[in-house]
Amino acid sequence: MREPQTASVAADLIAAIARGDRAAFERFYDAYSPLAFGLIRRILRDPEAAKEVLQEVFWQVWQEAAAYDPSRGSGEAWLVMRARTRAIDKLRSIRRREQTFVAPADGRVAAAPETRRDDPALAAEDRGLAESALGQLPGPQRQAIELAFLEGLTQTEIAARLGEPLGTVKTRIRLGLERLRAAFKVDNP
Amino acid sequence: MREDELHELAAGYALGTLEGEDLARFEARLRGGDAAARHALRQFEETLARLAAEAAEPPPPAVKVALMGRIAAGSPARQGDGARVVPLAARPRRSVWTTVLAGAMAAGIAAIAVGMAVSSRYERRLEVLGQEAATLKAELERQSAVLAILRDPATQIVALNGLEPSPTARARMLWHEKAGGLLVAAGLPPAPAGKAYQLWAIAGKHAPVPAGVFKVDQHGTGSLRVTPLAGVSRVDVFAVTLEPEAGVPAPTGPMYLAGKSA
Repeated sequence: MREPQTASVAADLIAAIARGDRAAFERFYDAYSPLAFGLIRRILRDPEAAKEVLQEVFWQVWQEAAAYDPSRGSGEAWLVMRARTRAIDKLRSIRRREQTFVAPADGRVAAAPETRRDDPALAAEDRGLAESALGQLPGPQRQAIELAFLEGLTQTEIAARLGEPLGTVKTRIRLGLERLRAAFKVDNP
Repeated sequence: MREDELHELAAGYALGTLEGEDLARFEARLRGGDAAARHALRQFEETLARLAAEAAEPPPPAVKVALMGRIAAGSPARQGDGARVVPLAARPRRSVWTTVLAGAMAAGIAAIAVGMAVSSRYERRLEVLGQEAATLKAELERQSAVLAILRDPATQIVALNGLEPSPTARARMLWHEKAGGLLVAAGLPPAPAGKAYQLWAIAGKHAPVPAGVFKVDQHGTGSLRVTPLAGVSRVDVFAVTLEPEAGVPAPTGPMYLAGKSA
């Protein structure tokens, strides 16, 4: 894929959007919707739900661009965090529905998708991230980050899922993100 | 606080995994303007943005058309969930042929919409056409999805027959484990106010899984697009009951249609 645009381009566009500039919004959408959509698609497998969430995220951008503070981070990170939050919200509401509708006694039916996702190698490959930096992390770190970033589990839930102490999970998440940060050479003032 | 501990909180916060006391502690630091906390959080958020960039994927064009139409229409900001999303896939109620023709028109209308975008004098008409194009384009996409289901040999086709309340009703269910399916029903009485028909997928001895609600037009025909049901692959029985229109988690009303897969 092409090089990400510099942070200031995204930030400038968001500032223009905050002033109600539709052309700026369109440019922002054209440049950054693939960034948001790729992530949303990996969190939500249902393409219809992913499209809905993408529309909702960018509608929020249009409505709430004024809330963006460039001193807190890049426009890309702002967008990605919004996309992730919305997608996880949607995922949780889908899960709540499933839990209500599938009787807990139906172990085979209820457990099937989770079992598949428990294999980190499979999960990463499945989501097209095996070749990414995430795929280069040690298995346990990658697994913890995936469960958090793509499945929306809290640290307690991750610990329960993996059968590991909470402290271990916290450490893995930190080490994993620190390695990714180094790999991406993220180093801003 | 040790740096490791601060980074643990910042990493958890960026990933949204923090809860309880950890969350409260880190939020207090952010509110207090703690520079180290902000710096760590910012770095982890940028890291996640880079990670997301590796998986970038262009969205279907219908989303942009719908969004630009919505913005042009100047929809006021509203609080509340769901209501703000322009549905990309309204339920099809027309005959297949009308929908196919409508779908074919979508490209034409979209082209007109694009042409008009260059002239602000036509903005008002653009708003209407943009929204119309978005709707039609979404329909075209849905039709393509249905065709893809039809072409796949793994697709089950199940005939549903009318039961006691409406013996002459008939329906066909196309079902594909990964792609979802489509129910087309005819001969059903219009649902009373506050009620709707609800489709159920039943696998073996498991409890029925709700697969969506639908209504029928004055001719008694209706259809329902069903997204893939999590955890459900092979379905043995499809059934339709009359339920409160919001849908219910387990069937409560009379059964109008049922059919076993071959």
